[in-house]
Amino acid sequence: MFDTTKQVTLVGTVTAFEWTNPHAYIELDVPGENNGAVKHWSIELGSPSILQQAGWKFRDLKYGDKVTAVVNPLKSGQAGALLMRVTLPDGRVLGNGPGAAGRQ
Amino acid sequence: MKTLIAAALVAVGVSAHAQVPPPDLTGVWAPYRGGRGADPKVAPPAASPLVLKPEYAQPFDAKRKAEADAAAKGEPIASGAVACVPYGMPRMMSVALYPIEILPTRGQITVVTEAFSEVRRIYMNVPQLAIDDVPPGYYGRSVGRWDGDTLVVDTVGIKTTVPAYQNMPHSDRMRITERIRLVAADFLHDQITIDDPVVLEKPVTYTLAYRRLPGYEMVEFVCDNNREYIDDKGGTHLRVRDR
Repeated sequence: MFDTTKQVTLVGTVTAFEWTNPHAYIELDVPGENNGAVKHWSIELGSPSILQQAGWKFRDLKYGDKVTAVVNPLKSGQAGALLMRVTLPDGRVLGNGPGAAGRQ
Repeated sequence: MKTLIAAALVAVGVSAHAQVPPPDLTGVWAPYRGGRGADPKVAPPAASPLVLKPEYAQPFDAKRKAEADAAAKGEPIASGAVACVPYGMPRMMSVALYPIEILPTRGQITVVTEAFSEVRRIYMNVPQLAIDDVPPGYYGRSVGRWDGDTLVVDTVGIKTTVPAYQNMPHSDRMRITERIRLVAADFLHDQITIDDPVVLEKPVTYTLAYRRLPGYEMVEFVCDNNREYIDDKGGTHLRVRDR
């Protein structure tokens, strides 16, 4: 589903951070180059349990935060992705946890 | 004097073995994979070979090859977990890095898993039912007893649609025997033997290891935001939002 051979860097504004199961999600508005149209991305993370093990807290992101996310995009070309790492407004860099959520 | 006491204990049917209270397994335990440099006393020992009867081995091997090929292409074949279907027994006992919680109470030991909040109940010191008297389900019916320092658990009644060890197929005759014991103060082993006279040439035994997580508070896992879905061909997709 995700193209793990591709990395895309998204710089944008958080419109939602959903601390949910089986996956958490970052919803991100990413402005186009030269003030181009905003493209909206849905970024999948691990589950809250796994994210906690990677140092995440449920309040680490909120509406309006500016972040830089490195992601593996969907192979389908839709604006969805799997998080690799994200730089938070306070400069911390968090990964996507030590394992995939709810999978063996 | 010691001889007299020992003789008296034997006379009333109490072995010295039974005098030792069973270990307290209460608490949260995280899967422990061992790995390079791990103490062999606490690392899980190697599993016995999984040998299916020929009529089951051929389709199983073909399925595993298809899964491996799909994974190599970066398009793994979806498992039930994608659709938030719980694992059931025995796979629920070790899901990725998710802890389990063991809760002994009077006459029962309950195991709660963090992944999918699965619950299994082990009824202590009661007879097992005949397989045909247990409604098939994800957890079946488990009964347990202490054998010295080892909790021995017998489980039957797992639905044939619930994949077992390494996703092996199984029949409704499958029986799971667990021998659960502390191998060190904070390390637990669950030696699992699966016997299925219909599907397996011989029982398969593997061991799951856990380390204690003192003070850990289990995280809830309610699957209320599942955006992944499986298509008719088994492919996994993500529902993305427009804004």
